[in-house]
Amino acid sequence: MMNHRESDTDIPAVLATDALCCRYGTTVAVRDATLVVRAGEHIALIGGNGSGKTTFLRAVMGFHREYSGHITIGGRTVASRGNHPWVYRAIAWMPQRQATGAFPLLVHELLDSSLDPAAARQSAIDLAMEPFLTRNLSTLSGGQLQRVFLSRALGSLTGGAQLLVADEPTAALDFAGQQAMARLLTESAQTMLVVTHDRALIERCDRVYEMAGGQMREVPR
Amino acid sequence: MTAAWYEYFALIPVQRAFVALCISSAVFPVVGVWILGLNIVPVRFAMMHVALLGIALGMVLGLDTALMGVVCCGIVGIALAPLADKPTGLAGPMGLVMTLAIAAALLVLSIAGVNANGAFELLWGSILAMREQDVWMMAGISAAVVGVAVVFRRDLTLLLYDREIARSSGVPIGLVTTIVMGVIALAIGAAVRQTGALLVDAITILPALAARNMAQSQRGMIAWAVGIGLVGNLGGFILTLVINQPPGPVLVVTVSIITLLTYLKRR
Repeated sequence: MMNHRESDTDIPAVLATDALCCRYGTTVAVRDATLVVRAGEHIALIGGNGSGKTTFLRAVMGFHREYSGHITIGGRTVASRGNHPWVYRAIAWMPQRQATGAFPLLVHELLDSSLDPAAARQSAIDLAMEPFLTRNLSTLSGGQLQRVFLSRALGSLTGGAQLLVADEPTAALDFAGQQAMARLLTESAQTMLVVTHDRALIERCDRVYEMAGGQMREVPR
Repeated sequence: MTAAWYEYFALIPVQRAFVALCISSAVFPVVGVWILGLNIVPVRFAMMHVALLGIALGMVLGLDTALMGVVCCGIVGIALAPLADKPTGLAGPMGLVMTLAIAAALLVLSIAGVNANGAFELLWGSILAMREQDVWMMAGISAAVVGVAVVFRRDLTLLLYDREIARSSGVPIGLVTTIVMGVIALAIGAAVRQTGALLVDAITILPALAARNMAQSQRGMIAWAVGIGLVGNLGGFILTLVINQPPGPVLVVTVSIITLLTYLKRR
């Protein structure tokens, strides 16, 4: 975590968005969002439902492509298809929507998709998920799923990912679980952008941005 | 005197049909698993009509109609792949392709003055009417299915679960989707023309549906689908010979009953 701000501009930006506007057809979900996340920073993104937080993250991840403005990860443009393999190796992702569809995927198969599968498995074991490695993801509880996706993300960080992008990573956890997850996330990820409503996690972040009506502003602390 | 069922195996068409069924029942259920995973069950109907367009073009141009049907299916399957990334998925475009292809086929036949009934007859193939080159084509497409399943095993496992999880894991989903769609289209196109439209479901989607009820993993799904495909289709084929009835309906009924039974399994 960073302890000083005065030398921010000397620290390389891991993620930068400039005048980012995201649309769904004629609906504008994110308006003119400009954000720089520098190496070592933990940034929390807060806001009400439908304020554009998840759309912003999806654009950063390259999933939402209907946008104007610029997004760069480690100086490389997300919009350029040629950069996609590099961009996906640079980001460890914890999605909000963790179990989809009716098709099966086993826990160890998901962990093997991490940049460092061995580290991801070890993280899962550390998080008491060893008995579930051969289970179908659809049979897990919300909290168990979040631990699996956290393990995958931690494996990717060990494997060289520069930025952890997490969308409401503590949403399905009880209070003790939220505290533990907040500590683990901030201690494990050197650089993190997290969408959250969790006070424990927000308090551990360096800066907080709020989204409302698609617009982003920094919240004074 | 009526021949015993096993005596039919002395006939070349029965031998060819059995070999083709062994190959397709062992491999095409994998295509069925992909179809379910990509949520494109209407692909069978779409490709049937595209095959008709290919057959029409083959008749007009004086080319091999079976080959033209398969080639057209492959091209259209690959062309559809980029639409898989749209939020609405592939089901809608499949319906469009189905309507457009049959209209285009009838138009081509009309302009060329070719009797449309001739083309339709070619579309409704029968496994007992397979030529040697048809068996080889089916074997070739089966080899392509196995190749894609092996080479892209990890990528497909993630892609069929969730496109975004796959993308974030570095899977080149555009490339993989294009290849898989192309192979699915080729397999369906070949199967429709060579075995008949009815039998396509028995060797692709029905075993996959049954497997989804039985398995907890994608690898398990493929194993169950292949097993059910082989048992159902080869068992159905022998039943066809025993009761001396057309193979298409008997095979579909046999595999359908097995599929229905899997719904009784407690999860």
